[in-house]
Parts: sequence; C-alpha cells; structure tokens
Amino acid sequence: MIGLTNGQMANGEAVAAKPAISVKSLDFYYGDNKALRNITMDFPRRKVTGMIGPSGCGKSTLLRVLNRMYDLYPGQRATGEVLFDGRNIISQAVDVNRLRARIGMVFQKPTPFPMSIYDNIAFGVKLHEKLSRSEMDGRVEDVLRRVALWPEVKDRLKASATALSGGQQQRLCIARTIATRPEIVLLDEPTSALDPVSTARIEELLDELKKEFTIAIVTHNMQQAARCADQVAFFYLGELVEMDSTDRMFTAPKETRTQDYITGRFG
Amino acid sequence: MTQNDVADDVQPSIDGWKVNGSLAMRRQIMDRTATVLSLVATGVALLALGSILFTLIIRGAGGLSLVTFIHSTASPGSNGGLANAIIGSVIQTAVSILIGAPLGMMCGIYLADYGSGWMASTTRFVSDMLLSAPSILIGLFIYQLLVVPTGHFSGLAGSVALAILALPIVVRTTEDMLRLVPISLREAGIGLGASKWRVILFICLRAARTGVMTGVLLAVARVAGETAPLLFTSLGNLDWSVSLNRPMASLPVTIYQYAGSAFDDWVQLAWTGALLVTLGVLLINILVRVGFGRKGA
Repeated sequence: MIGLTNGQMANGEAVAAKPAISVKSLDFYYGDNKALRNITMDFPRRKVTGMIGPSGCGKSTLLRVLNRMYDLYPGQRATGEVLFDGRNIISQAVDVNRLRARIGMVFQKPTPFPMSIYDNIAFGVKLHEKLSRSEMDGRVEDVLRRVALWPEVKDRLKASATALSGGQQQRLCIARTIATRPEIVLLDEPTSALDPVSTARIEELLDELKKEFTIAIVTHNMQQAARCADQVAFFYLGELVEMDSTDRMFTAPKETRTQDYITGRFG
Repeated sequence: MTQNDVADDVQPSIDGWKVNGSLAMRRQIMDRTATVLSLVATGVALLALGSILFTLIIRGAGGLSLVTFIHSTASPGSNGGLANAIIGSVIQTAVSILIGAPLGMMCGIYLADYGSGWMASTTRFVSDMLLSAPSILIGLFIYQLLVVPTGHFSGLAGSVALAILALPIVVRTTEDMLRLVPISLREAGIGLGASKWRVILFICLRAARTGVMTGVLLAVARVAGETAPLLFTSLGNLDWSVSLNRPMASLPVTIYQYAGSAFDDWVQLAWTGALLVTLGVLLINILVRVGFGRKGA
C-alpha cells in the first residue's frame, strides 16, 4: 500500500477526521515586512485544499512555511503554530530534511534535475531509504505509472530528463515528489507554465493523488480551483479572508471581497 | 460634418512609410560604420591568431618525426628529440590540475554557496589577485617554499607552482557557474529533503558541469604553456625522467632554451615543441567539448 503511512490506514476514518496540518495564528515576516497575518486554517486529510487570491497575497508564502522552505533565507521568519503529526514544526526541533520528505513540494516551473529520468526519481528516494536495485526499479515504475508518464518514458529511463516536454517534466516532478512517500503534497501553481492539454492531465492526476495524499494547491486559475479542490481558501493582503467548501465558495461566498475576486472584479 | 471628418481621415497627409530623410541617412551611416568597425576588429584578431597558427604549422610540422617523440633532448647535431619534455609537460600539467582543480572547485563552492561577510570577500579578492599575479613571482614563491628547503629542483615543485596558477581560474569559473544555477533547482532539491551539500554536489555542480569543465580546461591551457614558474622549480632535465622528486623537463622551458640558440636543429625542435603545446591544448578542448556537448543537459 504505497503512500499510506502508519496510522492513516489502521485507524481509518477516525484519524481521517483529524486534519493533516493545523495552522494556528501564523504570522510570517520577510524582514520587517509582514506577509502573513494571523492565519488559522486546517488542511483536512486526503482532501485537496485550493488556495486562491491575487499575486503577493501570501498563498505561496504559506506553502513555503509548511515545509520550512523559508529556512533557506535569512531574514524570513514565522511565528505561531503549524501542527503536523503532533509537533509545532515552526518552533519545535524537527529534522527539516525528514519534514520535507513527509511534506513534498511541486513548484511552478518544472525543475527536472540535470540527470536521467530514472535518477530524478531515485535521487529523492535514496535520501531517505535504502532500497535494492529491483525495489528501486519497482518504485520508479510505480510512480511513473501513477503520473501517467510510464508509457511515454519506459524505453528511455536513462535519457536526460531535461529533454522531456514541459508537461512531461512537471509530471516527472510530481512523480519525484510522491516517490519519497510523503503524507502531504504542496503544489505551487503547478500548471501555470503549461499548455491546456498538459494542465488537464495534471488536474486528472490530482483526483487520483488525493486518494492517498493530503494536497494543498496554490492556483491563479479559478476554474482549476473549482475543478480540483474540495475546499478553497481565499487570501488577500496576507490575510485568510474566507475558507469553505468549494461549492459554497463559488456559489455563496460570505465575504464581498471573495465575491469580487472570484467574479473577476479585481485581482 | 461627419462626412467631412471621415474624408479627412482617409486621406493621409504624409506617407506613413517614409522616414525623415536626413535622419534615416544618419542612421544608415552609423549602422554601416559600426558594422565595418566590428568586422575590422574581428579580422585583426583572427589574422593574428591565424598567422600564429600558420607560422607554427609551417615551421613546426617539419620536425614532427618519430625521433621527436622517442628521443630525449640531446646536444646539437646528435639527433635529439623532445620525449622528455613532452612527458614532463604532461606529468606536471596533470599533477597541477589534480591539485588545483579540486581545491579551486571547493573554494568556488564555498564562495558561491557558503561564504558571506568579510571572509568570503577577502577570499574572492585574493583569488582575483592571484589570477593576475605575474607567474614568475609564483615560481619564486614555490622556489622558497619547496626548492630551498629540499635543496633541489623537482617536478613536484613545478607542479605546485602550476597548480597555484590554475587555482584562481577554477575558483572564479566554478563560483560564476554555480551562481548561474537557477534558485528553483536548489529549492527543488531541498524540497525533497536533501541536505545543502548534497544539493550542491549532486544537482548544482551537475547543472554547472559544462561551465566548470570549461574553467578547468582554461586552466589546463594556461598552465601547459607556462615557462616562468617552472624556471625556478622544475628547472628542466636533459635526460628522460618521470620522477616528481627530480628536476623535470617541460616543453615551454625547452622551447625557451632552444628557440634562442644558435643551432638549427634546436631551433627546429623549439618550433615543433610550440606546435605540440598548441595542438595538445586544442585537442583536449575539442575532446571535452565533444564529450560534454553530447551529454550536456
């Protein structure tokens, strides 16, 4: 049972009711600039949470807090609570490398490593597990099948990943991310650099993936949020304005700012 | 009223395609002048390069015989070759790159990814100074450091002197190339849970490998032709010797000694040696370019 980690399966629905990540009173600063203000929200287990809002409103920033990507940059800091698996990951001691394996991330632009398709996937796996050659082969095939890339690349696993098309590269990046068997997958505008056909394939893929993973996706595309997400969060100027089920957000939002944004009046 | 307006609009008062005459003329003259000047400059540079290559081939090719490659240097008129100088150059260049390239790459990695503050800026400054330091000074430095204490000239001293010349070239190119690796690639590696050094070593350095290799090659080309730093370090050796512990011959030093001599066969060998150095560097360049060009991402 790939991707199902301890606890998720055994306790079944009882555990599923508990959110995968709980954010409480989160503030985030780029130097003196406050980019997130008092964010409180839950990411329900094995659901897709869509995050929408105009550019610079803090959506991507929130994603980068969840896997502590901001650690790379001095001057960026977060205060508050991000509860994941019983720990506040922004204040308590956590092994960030382990954290990032458990909370994977897919970026806006496809970022294949300058190595073969096979090695792109094996790279991340090798960091966290010792697999035999055949187990690794199996893992690579499995994740490539799940992102529907296997038929296209099975004969050229040793070829450079950078020779793939943009859409293929992005699917490879998703495969690479789920190969380390994360519990959560963060996607930061994963289709904004892709053509409509590739975008549609990635969206189909999300439907498959949410059966196993908790997904948080940032998108600028309203239709995408409406199609893919189970719940949608609307951010504006560093604040979480409103979060609700996708249906209610797009049909009967409570806030006028949400209404204005999703109907295209600003943003 | 409205009809009049439309009629005015339809009839253009001036031809939209026509540009003000004198302005167009001036632009054209400027354009032509710039083109001609840059062509002339390119021509001069290529002419100098071509003339050097041409002279080298014309004068040097005559000495390309088996004897040149299997006989060591000998006294005038006794059918000497360049075998000891060739092997000496190959060994000293190789050892210097083996010392200088890894050190330079590590230093470049430090500057690009770890260094900050005064330590990094000082290192960068010193490295850049080294880049333009007169090579004879480096020879003297190694003379004091390795030749005086041991009491004799050696191939190793020559290699170390050359390594110091290679070092700043590799440092500079490694740093520059690593800085060109997009931040998104680093974040992708970090995002998978890889530690910083792993991302640098297995992702960034791979992404930058063509550039870094070019830097190493530039260093090879630079040190293979150096004479001054070898004069006080490996000195030269009239006989065949491959021991790093003894004085060692090299092509540039042999060229230096032979080119100004009064003997025709020595002068011939000097030309041939110069041709060999040039062809050797050219060959390495082509080989690596072909090898990396194919696999290049």
